Amino acid sequence: MMKVILEVKERHKPNLPIEAECITPKNFLDPEREFHVWKGNKELDITDIFHVRKDGTAKSAEQVEITIRGDSSHIKRVGEYMDGGKILIEGDIGMHCGNFMSAGLIEINGNADSWLGREMHGGKILCHGDAMDYAGSGYRGEKQGMRGGLIEIMGDAGDFAGETMAGGEIIIHGNAGDMPGVDIKDGRLTIMGDCSRPCGNMSGGECRIFGTAYDMLPTFRNEGLTAIDSVQITRFSGDYMSRGLGTIYVANCKYMD
Amino acid sequence: MKTLLIKNAFVIDPIQHISGETMDIAVRNGKIVDDVKNPDEVIDAQGMLTLPGGIDSHTHICGTKVNFGRYMSPEDMRAGRTSRKGDMHATAGYSVPTTYGNSYRYSRMGYTTLLEGAMAPMEARHTHEEFRYTPMQDCLANTLFDGNWFALQAIQDGDTKRLAGILAWYLSAAKGFGVKLTNPGGTEAWGFGKDVSCINDPIPNFDITPLEIIVKMIEANEMLNLPHSVHLHCNNLGKPGNYMCTLDTYDAIPDINDKRQSLYSTHVQFHSYGGSSWNDFCSKAEDIARSVNDKPHIVIDTGQVMFGKTTTMTADGPMEFNLYRLYHNKWSNHDIEMETGSGIIPVVYRKKNLVNAIMWAIGLELALLVDDPWRCILATDNPNGAPFVKYPEVMALLMSKEYRDKEFETLHKSTGRRVALPAIERELTWDEIAVMTRSAQARALGLIDYGKGYLSEGAEADIAIYPIDVDSTDPARDYERIINGFSTTEYTIKRGEVVCRRGTCTLEGNHSTYWVKPHVSPAYDMSKDAAFIDGFNRYYSIRRANYPVGEEYLGRNVCMETEASI
Repeated sequence: MMKVILEVKERHKPNLPIEAECITPKNFLDPEREFHVWKGNKELDITDIFHVRKDGTAKSAEQVEITIRGDSSHIKRVGEYMDGGKILIEGDIGMHCGNFMSAGLIEINGNADSWLGREMHGGKILCHGDAMDYAGSGYRGEKQGMRGGLIEIMGDAGDFAGETMAGGEIIIHGNAGDMPGVDIKDGRLTIMGDCSRPCGNMSGGECRIFGTAYDMLPTFRNEGLTAIDSVQITRFSGDYMSRGLGTIYVANCKYMD
Repeated sequence: MKTLLIKNAFVIDPIQHISGETMDIAVRNGKIVDDVKNPDEVIDAQGMLTLPGGIDSHTHICGTKVNFGRYMSPEDMRAGRTSRKGDMHATAGYSVPTTYGNSYRYSRMGYTTLLEGAMAPMEARHTHEEFRYTPMQDCLANTLFDGNWFALQAIQDGDTKRLAGILAWYLSAAKGFGVKLTNPGGTEAWGFGKDVSCINDPIPNFDITPLEIIVKMIEANEMLNLPHSVHLHCNNLGKPGNYMCTLDTYDAIPDINDKRQSLYSTHVQFHSYGGSSWNDFCSKAEDIARSVNDKPHIVIDTGQVMFGKTTTMTADGPMEFNLYRLYHNKWSNHDIEMETGSGIIPVVYRKKNLVNAIMWAIGLELALLVDDPWRCILATDNPNGAPFVKYPEVMALLMSKEYRDKEFETLHKSTGRRVALPAIERELTWDEIAVMTRSAQARALGLIDYGKGYLSEGAEADIAIYPIDVDSTDPARDYERIINGFSTTEYTIKRGEVVCRRGTCTLEGNHSTYWVKPHVSPAYDMSKDAAFIDGFNRYYSIRRANYPVGEEYLGRNVCMETEASI
């Protein structure tokens, strides 16, 4: 078992983002590997930004546990292409955490910035705080977002959660912002709280909203009442702007005035 | 007064009938000279294939259309990223890269001159601004006239001289190079929700047909004595059975220039389709090639399709709408006031898609069935058929039957019943490839008079030195070496300076923009023509006085002045 502790150093300008896609469990298996991070167009050594402590040895990524401490709210791309092991973030984390990840666990005790788990294929991301926009979505112009795995957000999510989602599951325990699940193709998006304009141009998959969906889109057809876990819920099919193969379950919905 | 000596180069220069001679090339001040004493720089090109710099006579690399392709496909920027290195800027993009991306990648392949295939004159400024940031190549821009209302009016009135005057004014105002017709009449009809199916359909609002537009434009083009002929994208692109339309068009083309072709027909692969629907879609490349072989006044480029992701972009708005209905992906549609329109959609060509596989085969068939390589130019209509970085693969396919057969086996299994490709034994020679990638372009574009496309005294020192030893390479078998060799030059030389060395571009080449300025008699000078000025100010959103592109937009440029016969 290997434990890696990365503690963010006091920085002169803490708002400048650091691109740290090298922080994945697999990379720490190689003791010779050099770790570089980017600040703007400057390439820095990881020790310029973090105090690094490594204890123990590991034979596979699964045996590596990375803990990130300190003000990591502007550290970007942590866990990109992660394929096993665990990353624990004690505070907040910057954008693009868990990009393309295929296995393993990322646990965030604070809040996550935008693009959490974008285009991920597998594994699990657990965020105890809020997530900003585009959780589990595809990047600009990409046709397929998240394709597998699970993102669980205990707080609220920003706008466009699960945009172009094509598999896997997103569970948002708080509210979601505007347009969750826009262009969703497959997978399941669950919102325990409220949201607005869900699932525009939906062409497949499923979305469940246990709060209120404001500004419900008129291109979905009301298919009547049903129940999920003994909760009375209305089923909609749509989006009929597309082929109408998706399903939304909504506890309450309000159309635009 | 910089001097350079290239020693022991293995030269193929078809314009001068040099077919593989080992010789020295001396360069002074950006021009090839007879000899230099004490050269500043010596390059030993022992055992390396040395050709004139490559010329792409139909590509889409700069301008509003390309730029719209960039911003509607942000995902394209995720491919082909390179960071800043030495003199090189950062680049990004695959099918629609940044201008530097285009320039570096072309330079790496030994290309030194590029013709932007379609520039709407009203949006010429944008094209010229991007030319300035395409630093390794000389650029030229074909100017769109397919739906120009003043031109269509002159054709309807039967006044070819006035038409020539209008072309002359627009070409010099937009700093353009040649006359481009994209689906003549069809793009105009698309402004009213219609299209034309072939050359004899009437056009809305005018009492003329596409055929009249094509023929009158050719006549007017020759009145202006332009270096290039009319550059035609035929009607009915990309539809099953459109080869009849292409043949009818070719039959109607007059032969009125004895120095070069009267018509340059572009991306003919997209116009060589048989069948009546996508279900019985098949290749008619043999019919098209036979027609081209019979007509020495027509030059074509192949418009080869290669498999993978790309972006299609053309001024042919209705055709892009049809593609959109096939793919249901994103689509852009654009109308340019009095002039033309355009459309863009991203596509993926797949080996297992029968239609795509047939398209791939048609491009190769054309290149192999047209007997005269001087009249069949290698191009992919970048990025419509494939991004230009695929050129080395196309060359290898044309040079090796074995490679073609190997690729063919990976295609949709029904392809063989719809195409003639497997039966074609021809393998192109080094000389023929040299013709199809530079010499034929130089002749078709009329650039030989401007020192391009050959390597003798007085020519521009645009030279590509490839790490290919012709004597020890059998192209039919060593196709991997052909692909690698043509992908990255040992040296690319632009105006006497090494601009690219083994893929690393070293400096901002001193490139220029070439544009034409036909001199017409005062009677046909549109800047003094009351009816033209009045119509212009009434129907354009830009005042006529503000319309011409100022020379300050061009940077270094070469004005090609011609004396018109009107």
